[in-house]
Amino acid sequence: MHRKSWLTVVLIVVSCSPLVAQVGGKKRRPLPYEFGSVTISTYSQRASMAPVVFEHWLHRSMFTCRVCHVDVGFAMKPGASNIKAADNQKGYFCGACHNGRMVANGRTVFAACKKLVKEEDAARCDRCHSLGKQVPVEYDFNQFAKSLPKERFGNGIDWQQSEELGLIQPSDFVPGLSIKRKNLRVENDFSLNSKVAGMPDIIFSHRKHTVWNGCELCHPEIFVGVKKGSTKYSMATIFEGNSCGACHNTVAFPLTDCQRCHTRPVQP
Amino acid sequence: MTRAKVLAAVALIFIGVPWAVAVPAVQQEDDKQETQKPEAWQQEFDQVCSKTTDAMSLTVDELKSLVQRCDALEPRIEKLDESRRKVYSRRLKQCRGLYAYVLESKNNEKK
Repeated sequence: MHRKSWLTVVLIVVSCSPLVAQVGGKKRRPLPYEFGSVTISTYSQRASMAPVVFEHWLHRSMFTCRVCHVDVGFAMKPGASNIKAADNQKGYFCGACHNGRMVANGRTVFAACKKLVKEEDAARCDRCHSLGKQVPVEYDFNQFAKSLPKERFGNGIDWQQSEELGLIQPSDFVPGLSIKRKNLRVENDFSLNSKVAGMPDIIFSHRKHTVWNGCELCHPEIFVGVKKGSTKYSMATIFEGNSCGACHNTVAFPLTDCQRCHTRPVQP
Repeated sequence: MTRAKVLAAVALIFIGVPWAVAVPAVQQEDDKQETQKPEAWQQEFDQVCSKTTDAMSLTVDELKSLVQRCDALEPRIEKLDESRRKVYSRRLKQCRGLYAYVLESKNNEKK
């Protein structure tokens, strides 16, 4: 009997293991410095290079979302821009800023890809093509985050407050690509009714969002319809990366931080 | 070789050589125009897409005109080299999309 029960246990474990593998274990919550990082491997591996690890925290501390995702032209999904080294060399995508000439934070921004790569360039290549490598960092996340307002999730930084207090001043202009435009006319805030009883309603602030995104980053690519209610969404679709989830599960504060959106007191 | 054949050969040389020289020159001119063209499309792009910040304050006619200008720019951007095409076709799509979105919203307001 003892032997039989062991056999049963072994059988259960063996038969369940493919199921576990299929469903996957619980996803590890990214560490504050990892949150928002994107791995881009469109062509890197074909060129025998490590995939690029893009750190959103570092770039968003200096630039608005709009300037990169509108003026520079980065797509919202990793790999969708189909970036090649040649694009960077010509001054597009990463090369728009990483050109060895632009100055940000008092430092000259290192040049991205070169046509002819010499041995001494390896360390520079590794600064972006860094997946799986121990690359010395020039900007330390903890040092940067130390003086900024704290938040519970994501990077652990309240980016919105940091911007409001002037602790960060993200630039909305990239020379050579951005167009000089009038100041943005901000639309009114509006409320979105919660679909779950007892859950506070959402007050959507256009002002908070347009500071980072302008108009054309969200409309109509992310929020398609004009009429209220024409963009159908639920928390399930948002968690899948649609509508609010396009940013609020990837780079902006995550969806687990319910109270950041569901702010209005519950209606009696 | 008859005299006629010699004359024909000489004539061919006289006609053929200048033609062979002229074709690359025309080609070069085309290339030059190709490099000058971006200036024109770039100017148009900058003008058209510089109004996204105040799209909501534009009139229906202004928005319609901007959408048309975006549509007219599209084939010109499609002809650009790969890098510029990737960047500017996305930018044009976003800019056109916003004007069309606001236009639709204004049309709905009228109803």
